[in-house]
Amino acid sequence: MPEPTIVLSARGLQKSFASPAGPLAVLRSVDLVVHAGESVSIRGSSGSGKTTLLQLLGGLDVADAGEANFLLPGRGLVPARKNLGKGVGFVFQNYQLMPELNALENVLLAAQVAGRPAAAAEAQALLESVGLGSRLRHLPAQLSGGECQRVAIARALINRPSVLLADEPTGNLDEATGAEVMRLLLEVVAQRGTALVLVTHSREFAARTDRQWVLSNGVLSPA
Amino acid sequence: MPWFLHLALRQLFPPGKRFPAFATVSILGVGLGVAALLVVQTVMNGFGEEHRLRIRESFGDCVVVARTPIERPQDLLKALRADPAVASATPFSEGPALARQGDFSNVAYVRGIDPTDAGHPARKYVFAGGFDELDDGRVILGFGLARALRVQVGDKIEVWSPAMAERAEQGKAPLPAVFEVCALVRTGFTEVDDRAAFIPLRRFNQLWSMGDRVHGLTLRLKEPAQAYEIAARLNVGRPTLQFVPWQEIKKNFLEAIRFEKTMLFFLMFIITLVASFSIGSTLFSAVIRRSREVGVLVALGARRLDLVALFGLQGMLIGALGTSLGFLLTWLILAFREQILGTINSLFGNGDMVANVYQFSKVPLHYDASDFVVAAAFTLLVTTIAGLVPALWAAGRKPSEAMRDA
Repeated sequence: MPEPTIVLSARGLQKSFASPAGPLAVLRSVDLVVHAGESVSIRGSSGSGKTTLLQLLGGLDVADAGEANFLLPGRGLVPARKNLGKGVGFVFQNYQLMPELNALENVLLAAQVAGRPAAAAEAQALLESVGLGSRLRHLPAQLSGGECQRVAIARALINRPSVLLADEPTGNLDEATGAEVMRLLLEVVAQRGTALVLVTHSREFAARTDRQWVLSNGVLSPA
Repeated sequence: MPWFLHLALRQLFPPGKRFPAFATVSILGVGLGVAALLVVQTVMNGFGEEHRLRIRESFGDCVVVARTPIERPQDLLKALRADPAVASATPFSEGPALARQGDFSNVAYVRGIDPTDAGHPARKYVFAGGFDELDDGRVILGFGLARALRVQVGDKIEVWSPAMAERAEQGKAPLPAVFEVCALVRTGFTEVDDRAAFIPLRRFNQLWSMGDRVHGLTLRLKEPAQAYEIAARLNVGRPTLQFVPWQEIKKNFLEAIRFEKTMLFFLMFIITLVASFSIGSTLFSAVIRRSREVGVLVALGARRLDLVALFGLQGMLIGALGTSLGFLLTWLILAFREQILGTINSLFGNGDMVANVYQFSKVPLHYDASDFVVAAAFTLLVTTIAGLVPALWAAGRKPSEAMRDA
């Protein structure tokens, strides 16, 4: 059986922040490998560094030590920091949609920023696949929280990333909507063969992923 | 359309909002600044142009003088009239005299002119009587001089020329020349209106014992703007004569007008600068408010230059729309300037200042394309910089910080 392809690799990630009491170590040598199509969850208490870890994995922040790489088709594993928007998709807790753009434009924006201006049909198909075919022209203010998060999922997938990083995507949603969004998220990544790294507080949602990790005291360990 | 331009337009003009507060106030601010700048510049240009025209009409496009009176001016007149650049050439003589009416007397600067000169500029400024009434027994007076002598059209005045003093020295009884006032002129130039008296050249030469000599020639040119070059060319081969272009006749006055315009431009420049600073600060707060969006754009792969373009373009768009609005406001204000001025005068009881102080029948205008180009370029530059400063700040932030701070 062939070895599964690594789509995300983090080795020795360290990060600390300045505090009145001196440097506060949030991550102490974190290692993580995610394979193609695999879903991974990271749980931890508030302030444990889950979001920081996700930002380092996606290249949104710089680690004090260690490195994070992800798979860019045709180029192999590349540094996350220097390849923003290319092989990783983000889903944020607060959706982070552009309030002045409608659902279709929000999804299309991600493609345009990545240098793919003619992706309207693909964006529409993605929105239809997350159940928003009839809400394409609606502004975020005209959508419910669950609908906004579905737009955000479609936006994260438009550039066909090899891995999707989701930072508490149900954190702002009620239980039923959160469950629906989680079902949808797991479904679409499975359909597209995209790996998922899910940061969540919920044991229930974490249990639905292939592998579960817990971040505590700056150390990542199997749940 | 590049995504950053599309997003910049949407952020400035969000869908569903007819008058978004930030864009409306910013564009209005720039528009008012540009309009203030251009209205002042255009009116100042108008005053300058009007004064230049009056200088030319009062003194000619080019004056030919010499250290001594010009002998046999007919030959010179013939030669100058034959020059293709010269529209007309007329002789004149001038000199001070004592003008008197009853118990009132004043110094008059008497100018001998050709009464048949159909193009004589004084004709334009006659406001009482008629220029064509001028003959050997009649005089045209400046408005201020007539007032000083307490005379009106039809009254008589005595004129005492310096040549009469010579007659007295020779033991002859000096008798004043008596003239009937046939017209009054009002040019707006105090020194003309308060001093000028026009009589026929032939009569002047009799009173001043000039014979057939004249003090100078007045040239009207086909291209008055080229007076410098034409005067220099006509001067070649005529070393005893001096050709003075109209720009040199009242040089200090024209310089003062130009300086005034420059100072006003400077003041208006500061107004526009203040407006642009307010755009900068508003844009800065907008960028801070959009910190999360900036972070998301970076996460999506936006380059630093894209973010600079996104917010820099918003400043530039405000500048472009504000400048267009400013052009429109300028046109509106200037088109209704008389009504606006009338309202101001009636509110503050200043009377018709333009007519009373400047002797202009209406507020003069002169549109200068270069003023509009400079105002547009300057405004675009300043508003773009006002947008670029917060844009550079936003682009320089770490996405993780941007998303955390908002």
